[in-house]
Amino acid sequence: MSSVVAFSVFGVDWVFLKPYIVLGLALGGVYALSGVGIVVLYKATGVLNLAFGAVGAAGALITYWMINHTSWPHWLAYTTCVAFGGAVNLLYGVLFGPAFAKRDPLVKMMGTLALALILLGLMAWRAPAGGAFVRVLTLPSTDHSYTVFGAVVNLTQILALAFAFVLTVVTTLFLRYTRLGTAYRAIADDREITSTLGVPVRRVEASAWLGSGLVCGAAGLLLADLYTSLDYSALTFLVISSLAAALIGRLRSLWVTMAGGLIVGLVQAILTPYSSVTQYRAAAPFVLSIVALLWLGRKRVVVFSPTTR
Amino acid sequence: MKSTKVKVGVALAATSILALVLATWAIGGSQTRAASQVGAAGNAKAAKCGMGNGKKATGKPIKLGTINMLIPGVDFTTIAKIANAYFKCVNDNGGIHGRPIQYIQYTEQLNPAQQSTLAHKLIESDKVVGIVGNTSFTECGTNWKYYKSKGFTVIGAGVQAECFGTPPIVESNMGPRYSNIGAAQALLKRGAKSLIIASPNTIAAYADGGVLKLAKQHHIKGKSFPIKLPVTDGNSVALQLVQAAGKGGGVILDFTPDTAPTIMRGAIAQGLVNQVKWGSSTPIANTFMAKQFPQFDGKIFINNEFQNLTAPGPDMTSYRQINKKYAPKVDLQAFGQMGYMDAKFATIALLKVKGAITAASYNKSVRSLKNIKTDILCKPWYVGNLAYHIPNNYDITVTYKKGKVVKVDSCFAIAPVDKSLVQTRKWEKQFHLNG
Repeated sequence: MSSVVAFSVFGVDWVFLKPYIVLGLALGGVYALSGVGIVVLYKATGVLNLAFGAVGAAGALITYWMINHTSWPHWLAYTTCVAFGGAVNLLYGVLFGPAFAKRDPLVKMMGTLALALILLGLMAWRAPAGGAFVRVLTLPSTDHSYTVFGAVVNLTQILALAFAFVLTVVTTLFLRYTRLGTAYRAIADDREITSTLGVPVRRVEASAWLGSGLVCGAAGLLLADLYTSLDYSALTFLVISSLAAALIGRLRSLWVTMAGGLIVGLVQAILTPYSSVTQYRAAAPFVLSIVALLWLGRKRVVVFSPTTR
Repeated sequence: MKSTKVKVGVALAATSILALVLATWAIGGSQTRAASQVGAAGNAKAAKCGMGNGKKATGKPIKLGTINMLIPGVDFTTIAKIANAYFKCVNDNGGIHGRPIQYIQYTEQLNPAQQSTLAHKLIESDKVVGIVGNTSFTECGTNWKYYKSKGFTVIGAGVQAECFGTPPIVESNMGPRYSNIGAAQALLKRGAKSLIIASPNTIAAYADGGVLKLAKQHHIKGKSFPIKLPVTDGNSVALQLVQAAGKGGGVILDFTPDTAPTIMRGAIAQGLVNQVKWGSSTPIANTFMAKQFPQFDGKIFINNEFQNLTAPGPDMTSYRQINKKYAPKVDLQAFGQMGYMDAKFATIALLKVKGAITAASYNKSVRSLKNIKTDILCKPWYVGNLAYHIPNNYDITVTYKKGKVVKVDSCFAIAPVDKSLVQTRKWEKQFHLNG
């Protein structure tokens, strides 16, 4: 009865769209948690991390190898993916963070692009795509499914959404109420002054790289399962959707970033079954972030310097 | 203080570098797999390869060439790898009257200019006497006129219309269009109320057309979903297909083993497996897939253009042995059977040549081939001097069962929805091409 009533609300066939909404929320959850990881790192270091997806993809490949080619326990494989993300990010942050610290944001971002390309090259060299088989990484939680409002939802999808929400709450509280979180916010405002006040800036930045990296690893695992294929180049470029979420949050608000990630995931999923627009759904993150930036900046006053009048 | 910091920094860097090296090594391990060798249900005596005399061929090489497509999501080089394995076996068993076969292999990425260049290179620079084992989404269309102008008859494993509709190309397989029709017949036999088919978008117009004709003949819904490769979101694709099919409908997947699993996983993750009847064209009829997808046991009906991989006949036994000895890293699969047959038929043509082996004499010999018996196919194979060739037009249906591939329908004729198939069967009778 409820599905019949829902059928014609707003003239949209909600029964038909329900499964896509589920898919969209799950993927949106991963974009949201990745977006939060990107924003926190940006707040602490000023770096927009373009290697987010590549690190997660590499971690997922390692997990795939451990599960399919060793007899090690699966929990160790999943933990390794997350730890790998943290380790690679930390290594990059420790080695290159200080060198890039005084450079402008574009240069800092290009540094992470280099990391992404190196990882992509390594993955293409050591684990080329193609061949007679495809790599698939399925989490054990995917085997558990439930019916929610008439749609089939598996536990991985629920976890993706829940994790995004929990991470946003925890990170918000962390930034507001902990000394380390306060240090992050201080560095975001002014790194030099924060340093002169005795805050160990490099250690704080390193902790941000580590934390963001752990989120990288977790996102890599979830995306490899939700996308049903371990295509490392596709997983690498899913960072675009996460970046869109971060941009919608203007690299400041974690809650708006979370909402942005969910919206990106939903829009992409809902466009899927409509053949006239499905080929444009890859552009959804770009379009949404442009619209959001224009809308959110609509009341900003542009001030010209006296010399440009 | 400073030296402690330096030590800590160096230790951290060293540990991280070690982790990265281990990671690189580990990632590399992901790509290697031991080939799964299928135990046959009783082996017959293996067919001999070439002259079968156990002597290594040492004379002047006879050059054959191939062009195989290799793109993200589809790897056809398996056909060439197994053809090469067969030729190695031939060379270890006397070659062609003492002369070894040298097999030159090129790959292409769906670029017509590249395909044309490679064909010219093989014939004019490498001076091959024949082209064997070509497989691509589009190469037949690019090069068939060139092959005809040079008097070449290519033995390959085809996909697009020109592979089955032009004089100079003959295939050991039946291609996706007819294989999909066979899958549709299997689903209709089991009461499917609609026929929905998904294929790579580069071949969908041709590959799906036969199924749509069959659906129309049976007055049921038919719909084609061209899918862009590589598939990165199997969940959405599976959902679209099942929704289009409706309850009790049929969904046919026309993908290779490096794409189909993504969609099948999506179906499993969303509880869609039992909602429709599933069918597929040949490429996923192998035990690797059967072991990966027990959820599809008895629920997917795969049209198999060739005999089961565990079948005991002489050619199947020979294929398994050659695969094990000369290409152990390659899984047993339909592409391997295609490569084996292409190489076998080319070898028969070479051995039939009387006098000097040249491009002219070899290709003339190829065109004279008929009634070539092999236990891998339902009926004998042939070439003939025909306007087009569809020698493989009978096949079987298989399904997965407890990690194995089992036959559920014995050899049956592909439904003659195309005029070309009707005409082919007339020629077979007229010229006694296959018994």
